[in-house]
Amino acid sequence: MSVATFERGYNAFKEQIDAPIASFFSSCVRCGICAEACLFFTETGDPKYTPIYKLEPLRKVWEQEYTLLGKFKALFGLTSKLTDAELAEWKELVYNGCTLCGRCSMVCPVGNDLVYMIRRAREGMVAAGHAPEGLINASKRAITTGSPMGIKLPALQAQINHVEKDTGLKIPVDEVGAEYLVLLSSMEIINFPEYLEAIAKIMQQVGKTWTIASAAFEATNSGIQIGAADIAKELVNRVVTAAEKLQVKTVISPECGHAYTAIRWEGPNLIGRPFTFEVKHILEVLDEFREQGQLKTLGFESARLTFHDPCQLVRRGGVVEQPRHLLKMVASNFVEMSDHGKMNWCCGGGGGHSAIEEAHEIRTQVFQRKKNQLEELQVEKLVTACANCRIVMEEGLESYEMQLPIVGLTEMLAKHLATSNENN
Amino acid sequence: MSKYPTIGESLRHQGISRRDFLKFCTAVASIMALPAAMIPKIAEALEGTPKQSAIWLSFQECTGCTESLTRSHAPTLEGLILDLISLDYHHTLQAAAGTAAESAREAAMQGNKGNYLVIVDGSIPLGNLGYSTIAGISNVDMLKEVVAGAKAVVAVGTCAAYGGIPHAAPNPTGAVSVESLITDKPIINIPGCPPIPMVIAGVVAHFVTFGQLPHLDSLKRPLSFFGQTIHDRCYRRPFYDKGLFAESFDDEGAKQGWCLYKLGCKGPVTYNACATTKWNDGVSFPIESGHGCLGCSEPDFWDAGSFYKPLAVPISGVIKATTGYALAAGAAVGVASGAINRLKRYQARQDHETVTITDLERNPK
Repeated sequence: MSVATFERGYNAFKEQIDAPIASFFSSCVRCGICAEACLFFTETGDPKYTPIYKLEPLRKVWEQEYTLLGKFKALFGLTSKLTDAELAEWKELVYNGCTLCGRCSMVCPVGNDLVYMIRRAREGMVAAGHAPEGLINASKRAITTGSPMGIKLPALQAQINHVEKDTGLKIPVDEVGAEYLVLLSSMEIINFPEYLEAIAKIMQQVGKTWTIASAAFEATNSGIQIGAADIAKELVNRVVTAAEKLQVKTVISPECGHAYTAIRWEGPNLIGRPFTFEVKHILEVLDEFREQGQLKTLGFESARLTFHDPCQLVRRGGVVEQPRHLLKMVASNFVEMSDHGKMNWCCGGGGGHSAIEEAHEIRTQVFQRKKNQLEELQVEKLVTACANCRIVMEEGLESYEMQLPIVGLTEMLAKHLATSNENN
Repeated sequence: MSKYPTIGESLRHQGISRRDFLKFCTAVASIMALPAAMIPKIAEALEGTPKQSAIWLSFQECTGCTESLTRSHAPTLEGLILDLISLDYHHTLQAAAGTAAESAREAAMQGNKGNYLVIVDGSIPLGNLGYSTIAGISNVDMLKEVVAGAKAVVAVGTCAAYGGIPHAAPNPTGAVSVESLITDKPIINIPGCPPIPMVIAGVVAHFVTFGQLPHLDSLKRPLSFFGQTIHDRCYRRPFYDKGLFAESFDDEGAKQGWCLYKLGCKGPVTYNACATTKWNDGVSFPIESGHGCLGCSEPDFWDAGSFYKPLAVPISGVIKATTGYALAAGAAVGVASGAINRLKRYQARQDHETVTITDLERNPK
């Protein structure tokens, strides 16, 4: 049985350094503007959270292995070799001090995609055995049980029965030839069953065929969060195999940010070929239904509410306008946060952060930013489209003793479906 | 002094009319670059001035300077100078020889002590005094002896002014200039190989007319003739300003009369009057004949590298090629470095061990 070693980690750094990373490091002018974009710097004031500094181990390997000057410097002892102790020190910065929110990449004046590099640096950390325990365990569960939270098929089955009983609608499982394959996140199965209920109702209204795959119901991908492409690939492969077996046209990523990044953006690169199906986020699908006039709603939410932009969905995924269009269908008093849209601030729990137990304290500290954004608006309700954001924000609000209900956009829309209202 | 006739008397004696005398004064004014208003004053001065006694000493030289002067155009400057001065000793030109010639020199020195002009052409060898002697007297001894009683010294030609060709490396005779030996007399340098005859005439005329030396530059050259570079006054200057250069002596640019800078013309660093006074009765000067200036009126001109090497050239020719090679070498190093890096990364990928959930930790539980 193999184990993680420093050598494996060092080798992983070497293999991760591609042309973009080499050009990013050579382009960096050390201006430090990325610091101001980072939640962890703004909320703690500690310069060690400057995004480019979090990449120091990777930068060192790049300089010493791939640049002439770096080789000379190393030859004359002007730089020190990367050590295991350094990696151990950086573990806190790379995992506990970053949610892969990608805000830093937006502000870099020379266009360096910093979050891309941190994602790659995590590959080296994993191979060297410096990944956080919480993420290691989540990855193990994802591979062995099919879900990072350890949820197995029977649990889903029970939830399905529950929803079928509540709505009187059939939840299709393993239906070959359905148009849509609906993926779920463990969080939704356990904490927010309303999502599955909402999907059933909406699909009923628009008259589309859909299914859940028993072999691949889980959308989240721990491999992406911990930074292990091999694990991520296996998890993506499960979905791809199921989708192809069921011959679906479109796979719907649930209200989960990283699930979307994993399957939509990293997926085809991980398996090394294009998908035979399309991948869309549930909000993209719903907005299509709206555009085609198939999605009909009745009534409006009268509460003053705002929308929290999930980083992976909005900033990294480009799904910016769709949630706004959908919100305007059902909310009469929708207000935008400061920095809304692609520059919105992270909830503080992305990139696997919420699975890291020991990072709870700093997670609460950086939630201050979201708290301030919400206090400015004085809203009565918070809408989002990511179960992870939702759970992190619920915890954050609780820590600061704030009373504010949070709902998923899909379930809010389902509540206002014209048919469901008629039925009631 | 009274044994010399005044210039006016001398000219009339030769049958020169008043009109010709004034024309002569006009010529003198013009060669000294003086305004026409000065002509009557010159005429007045020359009319009553006794001819200036002059002793011409020729040392290590080729006689080119004398040739230059005596073959100048009409009204012959030679004549003009000989009208202004009494050339009491010039061993190339004088009829006397041997003891008689040397006696003439000694007589002039004694008769005009403190007032005669010494004109020197040729450098002075110090390596071995026997290298160049006249009547058994070494050049350095004769120079010191003659200059001792002189009013001023005119060093004619580059050899006398800076050492010239005899002084060029490796300087086998140990040749030196006049000014490196004479420090207690006014010296004026009229460099050039040979110097422009009109300049010699102008300086002598100035000295005779005004009794003093003209304004000099830092190299003791008369500013009125050496105040500007050949380049400043060159008729090809507009081509230089437009960036039109002959690249070889027979290319289209050369035929079109473009600037000879790239062919090694030293005009930009050479102070002389060639471009304005010209040579051979005003016919032309070297650049007008299609050859760059050699810089013969500047110190060490013979040792300043090839006559055909440009002074300094923007990126072209050798430098352009060098830059090209440097770029090519840089690109090659870059490509090689890139290939090595690719290989290294390829190797790292080959060394990749698939990460499974069993090897996420150092010490699996």
